[in-house]
Amino acid sequence: MIVPMSRVRVLGPRDRLDATLSLLQDEGRVQLARPMQDGRVSKLAADPRAGRRRHQLQGVLNDVDEALSLIGHPAARAASGSAARTTASLACGARVARRTVREARTLVARLRDLTEERQLITRYRDFFTEILPAIHALSTSPRLTAQVAVVPAASRSLVDQLREALRREFGAEFSMMVHGLDNGDLALLLVLPKPFSERLEARLRESRVPQVPLPAAYAELPLEQAVPRMIARLQAIPGDMEACRLRLSVLASDRGEDLRATERAARDWLSAADAHDLCGVTAHTFALEGWLPAHYLPPLQQRVAREVGPEVVVEEVARESWSAADAPVVLSNPRLFRPFEQLTSFMPLPSYGTIDPTPFVAVFFPMFFGVMLGDVGYGLVLGAVSGLVWRRSRPGSVARNIAAIGMPCAFFAIIFGVLYGEYFGDLGRTLFGFRAIWIDREDAIVASLTAALGLGVMHVTLGLVLGAISAFHSARRRAVGRAVSAVMVLVVVAALLAAFHVLPRQLFTPSVIALLICFPIVVAAEGLLGTIELFQAMGNVLSYARIMAIGTASVVLAVVANRMVGAVGSTVIGLLFALLFHLVNFGIGIFSPVVHALRLHYVEFFGQFYSPGGRRYEPFARWRADQGIPPHHGSVA
Amino acid sequence: MNIALIMLAAAAAVAIPALATAWAQSKIGAAVAAMLAEKPELTATAVLLVAIPETMIILGFVVAVLIILRTGS
Repeated sequence: MIVPMSRVRVLGPRDRLDATLSLLQDEGRVQLARPMQDGRVSKLAADPRAGRRRHQLQGVLNDVDEALSLIGHPAARAASGSAARTTASLACGARVARRTVREARTLVARLRDLTEERQLITRYRDFFTEILPAIHALSTSPRLTAQVAVVPAASRSLVDQLREALRREFGAEFSMMVHGLDNGDLALLLVLPKPFSERLEARLRESRVPQVPLPAAYAELPLEQAVPRMIARLQAIPGDMEACRLRLSVLASDRGEDLRATERAARDWLSAADAHDLCGVTAHTFALEGWLPAHYLPPLQQRVAREVGPEVVVEEVARESWSAADAPVVLSNPRLFRPFEQLTSFMPLPSYGTIDPTPFVAVFFPMFFGVMLGDVGYGLVLGAVSGLVWRRSRPGSVARNIAAIGMPCAFFAIIFGVLYGEYFGDLGRTLFGFRAIWIDREDAIVASLTAALGLGVMHVTLGLVLGAISAFHSARRRAVGRAVSAVMVLVVVAALLAAFHVLPRQLFTPSVIALLICFPIVVAAEGLLGTIELFQAMGNVLSYARIMAIGTASVVLAVVANRMVGAVGSTVIGLLFALLFHLVNFGIGIFSPVVHALRLHYVEFFGQFYSPGGRRYEPFARWRADQGIPPHHGSVA
Repeated sequence: MNIALIMLAAAAAVAIPALATAWAQSKIGAAVAAMLAEKPELTATAVLLVAIPETMIILGFVVAVLIILRTGS
């Protein structure tokens, strides 16, 4: 449900403004808003020192964010209470942040260089090892020199031509050793008389054959010195990298908490500065306005009176003075339904004063999932997986919510599995003689389709009724139109069933008469658009046929998986194939019902009543590093 | 011959919407991929957008079932 909100006004002497703001920030429940227009109240004059300080603190925050990111310090879970840092300690924190950023940048750059150096040497290590004896031999020859080059894989065919051309140009003393690299490139060792060295470089440039890129530290050395050093260096690089990582982790453990405290203090100060901007003042008083969940108002009034003084008053603004469109939206649902807020959060927030669809999603989403999957075996596996995820996840995390949604889905899958008589497809029937209690989905396609459309009628009608309730206060005519549309959907279904002799034939004529009466009412209430929406609602009902289609596909795939055991020559191989097929079907069986159950809710069901456009609840509060947002963001327990 | 035609009609009722769904999903899929490159947090919405044209094939499937059942094939 959407929590009722109160618009509150806080009034008091100007000298109590800072104390009041500090208390409101500690309380963390009031979302501040600009005070309503009143000629007697003006904006608080901007303080130029505050502007400079804001600029400085933004810089500090940039340093802190970069430092924390570089040293990899995790957000502390319980770090909600802000350290009340003084100006001096904040300045000290800023210095620590600057120092840490400088050191961490150096360490990270060093790590990057070491990684690149290791990759480069590793790439050519085998080549260097192979040419090492030749390089040593060259060091004793005063006439010869060597160069190393690399031919890209795409130009491998050029190597022979290059060898011939260079031999013709440099004579019999020229030689070339070729080594294939892992990526298909060819590394070349070119030995030739020293006087031809520059000409060789020119020829290689003309042939677009680059030299082997040696790490910067060895680029200027002769090959006979560079190669042995690089091979030896490869052994030392991991140690250097480990030392860098160790230093970063020492920085994280030594300065991480200090940086987090600085971050909290800076963000709290900036948040309080924003709150000052929203404050209205007269010569001697201040006025703050904001929103908070209505049930928090009495405790807030008591706390302000107790801690700031009775001269500061918190009063509720009359409901007639504010518009629902301005109020932020806070969702509050029972514990069992709360994980399903994760599913409704994919949509924009509902407008204040309308209906929160979470409870309906919590009931119908697992039910539709169960109707589609409908298999005891798959349901048990899903339940076990959800239980495992539940145990391994921490409270409030997305994984915990997914597990909490998965368990009722598994429950419904088991229930409908029993009704359909499905235990890993037809395995239960084959091995133990289990039979369908309600519908055998393999054969009874019509019954299955009727059940799916019946669910659609019920769901869409409920949506229309909710639409009528939602519009009751704001648009009475629309509410009437929605209610009559809901009746018409039911009457159309009754007429169809009577026409096909499912219901007594005598019901057909009264149903048609009822439709003829309802139709002009819908046109009068909602205009021609109402009739279009009515036909759309009928089409929406047909969309629920997907429940049957996906269910049938799921059971047929499971049956095919079971047939694998007998279809392949070897029982063991057949069993493996069957298991693999069941695994694939389980994956499809989870994904498809989730997507389609969500779609049925978002498009077919929400379309009848959902009114998006609610503003997020973002109370004025202390910074919390673990969420990156203030507490009570958007929902309350 | 009659049965063959009925089956052909049922197959067409599934095949044509299937092609239409595939075409629509290809267009939506490309747009959604571009959207996700800029806003990865909209992944769930993206999955739903891709699933929306499947209504066509679902309705085609229903029509095919009706064709087969109504003609007693």
